[in-house]
Amino acid sequence: MSENQQIIANEYYHDGVVRFLVVCSMLWAVLGMGAGVYVAAELIWPEIDFGQFWLSFGRLRPLHTNAIIFGFGVSALMATAFYSVQRTCHVPLPTLRLAWVTAMLWQICVLSGGLSLLAGMNSGKEYAELEWPFDIAIAIVWISFGVVFFSTIACRRIKPIYISNWFYGGLIIVIAMLHVVNSLVMPATLLKSYPVYAGAQDAIVQWWYGHNAVGFLLTGGFLGMLYYFLPKLADRPIWSYKLSVVAFWSFTYAYIWAGPHHLHYNSIPDWVQNLGMVMSLILLAPSWATMINGIMTVSSASEKLRTDPALKFIVLSLAFYGLATFEGPMMAIKSVNAVSHFTDWTIGHVHSGALGWNALIVFGTFYYLVPRLVDAKLYSVRLANIHFWLALAGTMLYVLSMWGAGVSQGLLWLSLDEFGEPSFSFKDIMASMPPYYMLRLLGGFTFFLGTLLMIFNLVMTMKGRPTVRVRPPKITATGEAQ
Amino acid sequence: MNGTRTNTDTGPLLLRVLFRPKETFEDLSRAEPSPYRIFFKYLVWFALLPPMFAYIGGSRYGWDLGAANPLILAEIQLRIVSMLYFFVLLTAFVSTAFASQWMSETYGARKSLGVHMAMVTILAVPMTVGSVVHLYPHVFINLLVFIPVLIWAMYLLYVGLPVALNIEPEKGMLMASSLVGWLLVGFVTLLGVTVALWTEGLGPSIGA
Repeated sequence: MSENQQIIANEYYHDGVVRFLVVCSMLWAVLGMGAGVYVAAELIWPEIDFGQFWLSFGRLRPLHTNAIIFGFGVSALMATAFYSVQRTCHVPLPTLRLAWVTAMLWQICVLSGGLSLLAGMNSGKEYAELEWPFDIAIAIVWISFGVVFFSTIACRRIKPIYISNWFYGGLIIVIAMLHVVNSLVMPATLLKSYPVYAGAQDAIVQWWYGHNAVGFLLTGGFLGMLYYFLPKLADRPIWSYKLSVVAFWSFTYAYIWAGPHHLHYNSIPDWVQNLGMVMSLILLAPSWATMINGIMTVSSASEKLRTDPALKFIVLSLAFYGLATFEGPMMAIKSVNAVSHFTDWTIGHVHSGALGWNALIVFGTFYYLVPRLVDAKLYSVRLANIHFWLALAGTMLYVLSMWGAGVSQGLLWLSLDEFGEPSFSFKDIMASMPPYYMLRLLGGFTFFLGTLLMIFNLVMTMKGRPTVRVRPPKITATGEAQ
Repeated sequence: MNGTRTNTDTGPLLLRVLFRPKETFEDLSRAEPSPYRIFFKYLVWFALLPPMFAYIGGSRYGWDLGAANPLILAEIQLRIVSMLYFFVLLTAFVSTAFASQWMSETYGARKSLGVHMAMVTILAVPMTVGSVVHLYPHVFINLLVFIPVLIWAMYLLYVGLPVALNIEPEKGMLMASSLVGWLLVGFVTLLGVTVALWTEGLGPSIGA
């Protein structure tokens, strides 16, 4: 037995930390989606804050977004990154202790950050609401995430770096850059700070951050998940590896410019707005390249749909990914944005991505991952199938209600009378919205119910079972895995 | 192209789809209908009904977008909008039939355009029936009616496609999902193009 083989014989992939992160992600899903359903209800019945500041819309809404993006989303990304990087590099995490520290500190950051939001500490920047001490902590934990990930890549036993790792790597590097630059502030007190950028420049930096958080975290990171787990589920290689590499580089190049479309018709230079619009339109090409790659991979593995509920979720997530990445560039066109901006159409668009793409691909991945982590069958395939239909119905109800509400709002706000004054008062328009909001509440609640079913199903699958120990494959003299 | 006369051509299609959808798809699986025949006998009329209802509702009551007063469009504007609605529906039906025929290559399904045209026609039935709600032009009420209509159409698509095109249910599910993606993108494009044209001043004036 060679030295290399002896090392491999004594080592196992470190999946305990993956399991911990999956469980944390599910807990954040309950909290984040629960808060989302509650704030949706508050938009119909504002009195259900019961006069408590911490229950008000202004404090619960950032808790909802932070718990979903950084709690549910990032925990799932860390879990899947740790799981897949070991398997695509044929090596266990070389810095296991740091991986555990990263995983646990991240949960503490999100939990304490969430509590600070409920207490009213808020920087006022969307998706970057946490104050400066939390920002510093997040930067440190994020860098340690990068160390764990890239040290595994550095120790890899096979030469090529698989495409999913490029996306996860892009996520780690770009989010670090965005977070640090956007969080540069002058602290006034321990819990209050002011940005170092002034006025319109601050807005440009904020939306450079905001849109690329959507781009590299909610899109790029999750594409990493797709490129690893979809071929695994379909049991065949990705349809076109070349296309995936082209998609990665064009995606990385194009996304970083698109932020100014959040500031159309605002006090930033017109050419910056136009640049944001054009780059957003270009972005459609790499986004759809990945969608086509995914659909073609799955189309030759249709027989798997018969037995595996996980694949269904991923197929549907691809459809919503296609919709959201088409709708986004379209809404970035200035003349469309004139109607859609500040309306519920934007909320609908965000949720077609967040529910239809991000959440569904996480669900599909967890249905694949959890039974394999404990070497057991899924507790109930029937429950997973019910979850699938609840998730689809919930997402569709949400998106349709917001399309109806948003387009009505946009048209009514822009209609002028013969004196050039708004024809309809803002108050009257908003007073007519509760029926749409009821429909949205129903959609959100249906989706939440499905998520609870999944959590029950996965907890029952894991219950009483230890994490299974998996060895990396042996490497032959020619470098091929056995 | 001369179509073979089969059960698909007999009886009012609207009622057959409503009450015996599975049998309608089974009949289609054995038929080779002519696309022209399907187009002129059914599709044109299905595309005509929703704009007609919208025209009648819009001229009698005006569109209620939720604000205090309903939106009454000038007669000529209403006519133009209704005609555009008709052409958009027709384009959507025909392009979906072509898209479906194009996808059939990937999923190993039947390729004749007539079958795809007939399938799209069957899927259009719920929408045609549901469009009666345009007679009461309130946006939210229309949305409420169109949600079950969409669910019904999607049910027909997922159940009927593998039967009509003679492919396994799993492949049918993938192809149906691809068609749903196509339709969603088509709808969003229409929404975007309409809004953009309206912002650029190429739409009806909706000032009070």
